[in-house]
Amino acid sequence: MSTPSTKAVPTGDKSKKTTTTTTVVKTTTTTTKQPQQKSLSTLAVGSKVKKPKTTASGKKVVNSHSNRLLSNNGLMRFSRGRMFQRRALYRISKWKDERAKLKGDKTKKTAGSIQKKKQRLSPLKKKSIGGERNGKERLVRTKRFPRYYPTEERPKKFSVKRKKFSTHPRRFRSSLTPGTVVILVAGKHAGKRVVVVKHLSSGLLLVTGPYKFNGAPLRRVNQIYVIATSTKLDLSAGKFDELDDKFFKRVRPAKKDAEKDIFDTKKEKPKLREERNQAQVNVDKVVVNAVKTHADSRLLRRYLKSRFQLWNGVLPHKLQF
Amino acid sequence: MTSSKKVEKPEGAYIKKGRLYVKAVFTGFRRGKRNQHENTALLKLDGVNARRETNFYLGKRCAYVYKAKNKTLVPGQKRLNRVRILWGKVTRAHGKSGSVRAKFRRNLPPKALGRRIRVMLYPSRI
Repeated sequence: MSTPSTKAVPTGDKSKKTTTTTTVVKTTTTTTKQPQQKSLSTLAVGSKVKKPKTTASGKKVVNSHSNRLLSNNGLMRFSRGRMFQRRALYRISKWKDERAKLKGDKTKKTAGSIQKKKQRLSPLKKKSIGGERNGKERLVRTKRFPRYYPTEERPKKFSVKRKKFSTHPRRFRSSLTPGTVVILVAGKHAGKRVVVVKHLSSGLLLVTGPYKFNGAPLRRVNQIYVIATSTKLDLSAGKFDELDDKFFKRVRPAKKDAEKDIFDTKKEKPKLREERNQAQVNVDKVVVNAVKTHADSRLLRRYLKSRFQLWNGVLPHKLQF
Repeated sequence: MTSSKKVEKPEGAYIKKGRLYVKAVFTGFRRGKRNQHENTALLKLDGVNARRETNFYLGKRCAYVYKAKNKTLVPGQKRLNRVRILWGKVTRAHGKSGSVRAKFRRNLPPKALGRRIRVMLYPSRI
């Protein structure tokens, strides 16, 4: 589990391994020198390994005092402070310069931190008072003490970190890409084979018959009421950006006057908005085109016109959809 | 649904709907030799004969459809109907030979023993 060193140490050096395994004995000694990377087993007793200053290619050998993961859950072998010592950053001029800068800048604790300058108000302020013999001014607290100290902890408010359902990520089955022919398995149009047009942000699918083929309109449908087939159409030609959940949301009729309601026994039939009819026409154009240009267009057309059903001997768990 | 305007439906809209459920039989309640637990029903699905074949049906909704004397409103229908449904779902496999356990919203009546149960194709996972 030791990480390999970033710079290659020449293999000619037999007694040294090219891994950054450090022995416990070595690291406990606090040295100003950079500690050497040695493996106990390869050292002869009393021997000293000389580290080459340059590699075979002529590059300078740098000890990578890299940390390593002790376990899968993110525990590192060396702590932050220890790593600082090992890397001996205090000796590097770049670090020194940064520190010098920070010393001057009193608003920042570290180079990377962004700290707002705290407006410190004085705890007491002067307030003028009326009355002759009240000593014109008084020192009053800027922030008053609380009037009430509860004996019990107040119940915690709903945590902000918990996401609302509307912001949850919606996942789509990998088999339900746009352009897939799909079987509707429930609802008014159950059994019909329709084409997936788009994934909607609410997690629903937008499907269309096309209307000409099987009478299935441009409609939203939940993924769980749909069986994906392996037949796919190419709908890349069409752009359906304006078709979203808002577009398909049911529009409730405005409330009428109370008088009218009593005598009006007929309910107005909800009619489809003109723009929805237009959208149907536009989308179907793209889909029908995709069917026409498909390799099996004749078969596909009849396929979309037909219905899915089960009959004797047909077992869905054995079907290849 | 009658509308004020006569809407021309395409020819493809008038094809009759076929069967969209799998036939199953209610074979009994979950039980040991001497005790039975009516909250779980055992279903034998048509054509499913091994435990590994039942994977497709897990989670699928099932319906016990029956008729009663009094007519009631059925969702989606305008006219009162004698047909009633008890809904449930397939929970897990039962045994090695393709039987399946199902839990219904209300326990199945014992007169449903040996009768047809419809296992729908939704919620679909394919």
